[in-house]
Amino acid sequence: MTRSALGILLALALWEAAGRGLAEAYVLAPPSAIALWLWQNAGLMARALGETLWNAALGYVIGNGAAVALAGLALAWARSEAMIRGLALLVFCLPLVATGPILRVVFGPGDGPQVALAALAVYYTTLIPLLVGLRAVPEAWLDLVRSYGRGPLQALIRVRARAALPYLVAGLQIAAPAAFLGAMVGEFTGAERGMGVLTLRAMRAMDVEMTWALATVATAIAMLGYLAVGALAARALSEAPSVMLAAPPARRGGGPWTVLLVAAAAMLIWAGGLRLLGLSSFFAKGPLDVAQALTTSSDAAANRAALGEALLETAVFLLPGYAAGLAAGAGLAMLIVLVPAASGAVIPVAVALRSVPIITTAPLVVLLLGRGALGTVTLVAIMVFFPTLIACLHGLRQAPGRILDVMESYAAGPLQQLIRVRIPAMLPAFFAAARMNVPASVLAVTVVEWLATGQGIGSVMALSASLSDYDLLWSAVAVTALLSVLGYGAVGLLERRVLRVYAPEQLA
Amino acid sequence: MSVPVTLHALAKTYPGGVEAVRPLDMEFAAGRTTALVGPSGCGKSTVLRLIAGLEVPSGGSAAIDGAPPSETTRRGDLALAFQDPSLLPWRTVRQNIELVLGLAGRPLRRREIDDLIRLVGLEGFGDTRPAALSGGMRQRAAIARALATAPRLLLLDEPFGAVDALTRQQLAQDLPALWEARNTTTLLVTHSVAEAVTLSDRVIVFSPRPAHVVADIAIDLPRPRAPGLERNPVCAALMDEVVAALSSGMAETRPRAAQ
Repeated sequence: MTRSALGILLALALWEAAGRGLAEAYVLAPPSAIALWLWQNAGLMARALGETLWNAALGYVIGNGAAVALAGLALAWARSEAMIRGLALLVFCLPLVATGPILRVVFGPGDGPQVALAALAVYYTTLIPLLVGLRAVPEAWLDLVRSYGRGPLQALIRVRARAALPYLVAGLQIAAPAAFLGAMVGEFTGAERGMGVLTLRAMRAMDVEMTWALATVATAIAMLGYLAVGALAARALSEAPSVMLAAPPARRGGGPWTVLLVAAAAMLIWAGGLRLLGLSSFFAKGPLDVAQALTTSSDAAANRAALGEALLETAVFLLPGYAAGLAAGAGLAMLIVLVPAASGAVIPVAVALRSVPIITTAPLVVLLLGRGALGTVTLVAIMVFFPTLIACLHGLRQAPGRILDVMESYAAGPLQQLIRVRIPAMLPAFFAAARMNVPASVLAVTVVEWLATGQGIGSVMALSASLSDYDLLWSAVAVTALLSVLGYGAVGLLERRVLRVYAPEQLA
Repeated sequence: MSVPVTLHALAKTYPGGVEAVRPLDMEFAAGRTTALVGPSGCGKSTVLRLIAGLEVPSGGSAAIDGAPPSETTRRGDLALAFQDPSLLPWRTVRQNIELVLGLAGRPLRRREIDDLIRLVGLEGFGDTRPAALSGGMRQRAAIARALATAPRLLLLDEPFGAVDALTRQQLAQDLPALWEARNTTTLLVTHSVAEAVTLSDRVIVFSPRPAHVVADIAIDLPRPRAPGLERNPVCAALMDEVVAALSSGMAETRPRAAQ
């Protein structure tokens, strides 16, 4: 305890020194300056924070409520599960940044978009563990309920609900900072008040102290939310809530029919939703409009060219960042296992930082590394790094102790154990993290492009939103979501091949 | 060739204060098979783990051939088989065996591996992964793996628990023959009194935790031992003796419990 307190003090001192030393560079604000800014602008901060927190809380309740309802539906009607998973994934892959302006025109001014984005940011990470948890019940327990002549309802009440609780809690915990992130992204896209609005203002004004102060507060709030839900859960549950790293793979990968069915349902919901809401066709574009904008309309070629060029630009940032984040996360995890002394220092920090929505610090990365490729690639890499590190560490420790004993009885050293046992045992966690990080990295890259770099698909979304080119905006959202889903699916396919060898029980 | 094992005041107390093994002085003769029996949780398995160097004693020492266990493990001369087979799930039976041969720096001879797989009755399953095997088959694969390096010291912790009765009888014939041919020092932890008496040259009976020795019984039955030995009157008498020692050990720990 005292050691970590000392560590924090030391970090603060270093930060202070660096901030003072780099005062002319205009990138880094020392803690004292941040504290001073916060003190002088306490009223402004409090109002903005209150606004964002309220939106985040509403979104948290709505998103998690929807997740529980959907999981219940999937359990009650097993055939709907593939459809629910498919649609949920599609929505999860929507680029939040561009969804914001669309929601803005749907809801008009007010809090609607922020709340909706907060809800969108949380439902998936709650739904997927919950679906797993409701089924992660030993068959013998269900047989027990059946052997006393009780039906599925009793099984749900007495066995499944309780067994799923740790999974639900794990989802709720990850959701707390994610809701804050969603609300902030919603505010980036044209709200009147809130932390996101202040962040935009600080960036435009190049106000280093304000940018750092906002990022610090956002980070602290996100961590507090994560820790608070964790503490509540620890009090309510006798067993420690399981560490939920990433969604396990779908039990049965959707066959081609499922994919077609999900695609058809998505189109129907999209088109039908617009009709039901009675939105003006000027800004509410349906699937047919998007198809026309990309194929038959007079500016189809221009639209395609704009999207293609932007996507290429984005890929140049996204793919190296994604790969670097995965490699760094897995590499550091292995290093920690080889040098256990390091773990005491690294793991608490990593667990804490994993909970931070890295996007809230995007302005900092831009300040530090500029608006060029380096800043964007770094941000994507950081976004991917922390979840990968935590997942890989957990995976490396999954290696059964008995097997390690056998290795030890042949005098196999730590490196041998790492290569032969721990890394293969880590692969399932690594691939799960890689899969879940596809939409996360797309979110990261589009946010930076939207906010800062003026390149790539995120910038196309920003431009088309401000120019009211809704054909292009909806097309960009649709294409990005589709590519995210494809990337997610591709990693998922690779994952299944790996799991078939390294963790066949997970596919059962 | 074969190695004796010596325990000098070997003791293990866990950080929480749980005393798993009381200081234990004992000598296991080279090339002999010794069975350790005792109630569940009495610390027998801890003794094996201490001898294998998997745990650090809190007092005393275990020596294999007069040297610390690490000397033997480094040469690949020690092997373990647990009740939990602990096979690597991503390797086939053959690959699991090849792994330890590689670790111990022994050559991979396909014929020898095939012979081992046949010995434990897994013929035709060499290229199968553990997930596709039954519990008993996995245990047999783990036994084959333990035998693969021709270890000088073999530590077996309830390795026959899930093996079916017929295969167990076959193994009870084949394994001692192999140990004898190789002059392997074998320590066998078991719950089965019959297994202890029919397989070994000596049975050590432990009391409930913290373990101390209740009885040390020499099994002077001729080898090779025939099937159905349990019905031999000499053997039956030895089994009775072990059971009596077990119950006296149990009685010791709760002398005034009866009301």
